[in-house]
Amino acid sequence: MSMSILKKDSPVPENSCIMYQREKRFAIIIFVISCYQLFFLPFQTTCMPKFNLNVNNKQYTVEAEADMPLLWVLRDLLDLTGTKYGCGVASCGVCTVLMDGNAIYSCQRSVGSCVNKKIITIEGLSEDGSHPVQKAWQKAGVPQCGYCQPGQMMAVAAMLEKNKKPSDDTINSAMSNVLCRCGTYHRIKKAIQLAIEEINK
Amino acid sequence: MKKVQIDRRHFIKISSLSSGGLVLGFTLPGLQALAIPLGDCEFFQPSAYLKIDTKGKVTVYVAKQESGQGIDTALPMIVAEELDADFRDVKAEIAPFGTMKPGEHDTGGSQSVLDMYNKLRNAGAVAKAMLISAAATLWKVKESSCAADNGEVVNTVTMQRIKYGELVCAAAKLPVPKEVILKSPKDFKLIGKSEKRSSLKDILTGKTKYGLDLKVEGMVYAVAARCPVLGGTLVSVDDAAAKKVPGVLKVVSYKGTGAPMHVRAGVAVIATSTWAAIKARELLNITWDEGKRNKESTDELFKTFASKSTAKPQIEVYSKGDAGSYDGKNEIKAVYAQPFLAHATMEPVNFIAAVKEDGCELWGGLQLPDWAVDRVSKDCGIKKEKIKVNLALMGGAFGRRLHFDFAIEAVKIAQQFDKPVKLIWDRVDDTQFSPYRPANYHLLKASTDDKGTIAAWQHHVLGTPIAFMTDSPETKNIGEMDGADHGFCYAVPNIKTGYTPVDFNINRGWLRSVDICVNTFPVESFIDEVAMKLKKDPLQFRLSMLENRPDFKTGEGPGALTQSPARIAGVLKLAAEKIGWSAPRKSNHYIGLATHSFIFAKAYAAHAIEIELLAPKKFRIVKVVAAIDCGVVINPDGLLNQMEGGLAFALTQTLKGEITIQNSRVMQDGFFSYELLRYDEMPPVEIHVVDSKEDPGGVGEVGLSTVAPALCNALAAAGQRPRNLPIRNEGFSWV
Repeated sequence: MSMSILKKDSPVPENSCIMYQREKRFAIIIFVISCYQLFFLPFQTTCMPKFNLNVNNKQYTVEAEADMPLLWVLRDLLDLTGTKYGCGVASCGVCTVLMDGNAIYSCQRSVGSCVNKKIITIEGLSEDGSHPVQKAWQKAGVPQCGYCQPGQMMAVAAMLEKNKKPSDDTINSAMSNVLCRCGTYHRIKKAIQLAIEEINK
Repeated sequence: MKKVQIDRRHFIKISSLSSGGLVLGFTLPGLQALAIPLGDCEFFQPSAYLKIDTKGKVTVYVAKQESGQGIDTALPMIVAEELDADFRDVKAEIAPFGTMKPGEHDTGGSQSVLDMYNKLRNAGAVAKAMLISAAATLWKVKESSCAADNGEVVNTVTMQRIKYGELVCAAAKLPVPKEVILKSPKDFKLIGKSEKRSSLKDILTGKTKYGLDLKVEGMVYAVAARCPVLGGTLVSVDDAAAKKVPGVLKVVSYKGTGAPMHVRAGVAVIATSTWAAIKARELLNITWDEGKRNKESTDELFKTFASKSTAKPQIEVYSKGDAGSYDGKNEIKAVYAQPFLAHATMEPVNFIAAVKEDGCELWGGLQLPDWAVDRVSKDCGIKKEKIKVNLALMGGAFGRRLHFDFAIEAVKIAQQFDKPVKLIWDRVDDTQFSPYRPANYHLLKASTDDKGTIAAWQHHVLGTPIAFMTDSPETKNIGEMDGADHGFCYAVPNIKTGYTPVDFNINRGWLRSVDICVNTFPVESFIDEVAMKLKKDPLQFRLSMLENRPDFKTGEGPGALTQSPARIAGVLKLAAEKIGWSAPRKSNHYIGLATHSFIFAKAYAAHAIEIELLAPKKFRIVKVVAAIDCGVVINPDGLLNQMEGGLAFALTQTLKGEITIQNSRVMQDGFFSYELLRYDEMPPVEIHVVDSKEDPGGVGEVGLSTVAPALCNALAAAGQRPRNLPIRNEGFSWV
C-alpha cells in the first residue's frame, strides 16, 4: 500500500493546516472510516508478547515488542520517567540504570533481555532521596537543569557498589561517558568525594 | 530605603457577591479577572506573583522558564526577602501561561533577574504591608508599632507575634497600599546568602517532570522524517512497510514553513509508543524535492568569508575618528574564525499538542511562549485565543527553545489525529535539524604609534546572521547579531567596525551568549596579539586602555546600554591577582587572560587560565580562575553553579564543538560526532565575586565568552596561537 501525498505542481493551498480545516467536513468521514478499518482493527488483533520485569523490587508484566529498549518500557509503559532519554545509541549515559548491580545503558537493552534481572532506576535508588549518592548530590547542590543527574547518580551508585574507595582513574572511567550539557562536572566531582566519605564512615 | 508607587490596576480588587461570600478578584494584565469562591478564605493573593495560604505557606509564581538557571530559587528569594517570609515556607511554581503581562514569560538573554527584581520586590513588599496592616487592625495599634519577621508580624511594643497564615483572610479584605517601602540592600537577610535549589529533592529522586516526561490523557507518540535540505518539499512517501510495525496508528505528512521558524517539510509516524514510531520511521520510503540550494557547504562558506573580508564591509556598524586612513601603517593583521554550533540540550526537543475542533492545547518548554502562540496561530490556522499553553520544565535550553519550530510541527501533526500527540526528536534530529549559532569570520587590523599604543582599530565581521532567518523585530540589527563590536571597550582614538552578512542555507538561532562569544574570542585574542607584538605585558596593556576610560554608551536611543570600562578592568585585575599573574611560574606553565562584559545583562567577567605545555601542541589545563561583577548577587551558590557550568559549556566550543555542512546537510549526528566536554576534561576552577551594591545583573551567559580567548592567549604565550575554533582543528590536543 502506498500513498502519494503531494505532487510538486498540484495546486495546493499555501498552508496545509488551513487546508485541513477547510476540508474537514469531507475529511472527517473518510478519516474515521479509514482510521478504524486500516489501523485500529488490525492493531486490536495484533498480539504483543508479554514480559515479566522486576523493577525497583516490584513485579511488572508488560506487553511490548521484544526489541523495545528497556528505556522506552520504563518511560512509556511503566511511567518511570526518572530514567531519561538522551541519545538512544549509548553516547550520553543519561539513561543509565542498574541491572543486577551493574550500570547499564537502558537504551541498549531490549526488554526481552531484561527478564529475570533485577532492575533499579532512580525512583528505586531510595524511597526518599536518602541514598548516600543522593545525599551527596544534595549537599554539593549539583544540578542545574537536572536532566542528566539520574544517569550521573546511577553511574556513581553502581561504581560504589563494587568499589567503596575508587581511584581517580576508576572514577574517570565510570563517569566520562555520562554527559552534562549544563556542565556540572565540578560539583559532580565534589559530590562523588562526599559520597565516598559517607559510605566509608 | 526606596519608596515605590504601586500601579493599583495590577493588584487586588475586593468585592462582595450577592450570595454573601467573599470574592477575592484580582485583575492582572493578560489575565481575566478571577473569581474564587471562598468559604471563609483559603488564601491571599495580592498579585499574580505570589499567594499566601492560611497555613502561611507562600507560593511564588515564577514567570520565567526554568531550564537550569536556578530562577526557581533566585526569584522566590527576592519575594521572600521583601515579604520577610521564612524561606522554608516558600515554594516555587511555574506561573501559568496567561497570568502574566504579554512578554513577561519570555526567558532569555540572562534577563530573568533583571526583569523581575523590582517587580518581585514590590510584590513581596505590598503583601507584607497588607499583612502588617491586618495585624495592626487586629491589635488596634498603629502600623508603625508592627514589624514583619520571618513569617510573622510582631507588635514591637508588646512583642506579641502572629503568623502570616492567621492574617491572610483579614489582609485580603484591605485596600492595596498606594506606595510601599523597599528594603535597603544593606538590610537584606536572604538575598546574598546561598540557598539550595528549591527543586533539588524532586530532581534527585527522579520525580521532576520535564516536557519529555509529560503524559496527557489519551496521548500517542510521534517521530518525524524531515527533508534533509532546508526549504525542500515532499514529493511522495511509501508508508506501506512502516504501517505494518505493530503499534503504528497513522502516517501523516505536513508542509514546511518559511520565516521565522523554518519548519521543514516532514512525514510523521504516529504510534502507541515512542519505540514503534522510531522503528516505523526507518521503513518510510520518501522522495523529497530538495530544491536548488542543496549543494552548500561550510568549506565554501569560509572561502566566501575570506574573499569578502578584504572588501569594504557591507554595513558600517561603528566609526570613531578616521581608522581607515591608518590602513597599512604600522599594521598588525589577523584573521579569526568560528563555526556553526548546536545547542545539544540533554533533553532532546519534544512537544505535545492536542487539536480539538475549536482550538488546541499545548504542553512543553517555550522560552518565548507569546511569540510561539502567535506563530502557531498564523502557521496552523488556529485562533490565538483558542490556543492553551501549558509550560513545562526544560532539560536545558541555552536558547534552543527561543525557537519553537517543534511546536508548529507538533500542531501540524496533531491536526491530523484525534488524540494528543507527543512529538519526539531523537538525538539525530536534534543535532541535524536545529537552528545553529551562526558561523563567523573576522579580519582585525591594528595600527600602532611610536608610543607603543593602538592608534587605530579595524574589525570586519562576516557572518551568517540570524536576522535573515527570523525576520522578527528583534533581529533587524544584523550587525549586532553577529557581534560587530560597537561595544569595543578599549580606549582607542580611531575605530571602525563593519559587518558583511552572507546568506547560507541552514537555519540559524540564538545560542547561549550569542554575539558576545562571537565577538570576544577575536577581540580579546587580537588585543593580546598586539600586546605581544609590542612586547608589552598583556594585563598592563589592557588596563592602560580601560582604567582611565569613563563609562560610555553602547548602542543608540532608549536601548543604549552603559558600558563600564572600570568594571571590565576590575574583574580582569581580580582574576589576574588570584591566579598569580605576577608570581613566578613553573617551567612550561603559561597563563592567558581575557575580560569582557555581557552588558545586556549588566554583568562583567574575566578568566585567567593556566596551562602546562606537554608537547608543542599538547597541553593540560592546570587551573581556571574566573572573576565576576554582576552587582547584588541574589543566590551566590546559583551564581557559582552558572559560572562553573558556563566554563564547561565554553570549553566544549573552544576545544571541539563544531557543526559542519556538506550538500546543505549537517554532517554530525549526535554526541559521537558533536562531542561535549566530558567529566574527566573538567579543569579545576575557582570563582571570585566582586562585592557590589549595584542592581543585580544576569549571570547565565557572562561566564562564557572569555574562556576561549583566555585559553588561546595561554597557548599563544606558550608559542602557538590558535585563531580558529575549535582548536582541535588546528592540531591541538589536551589531557
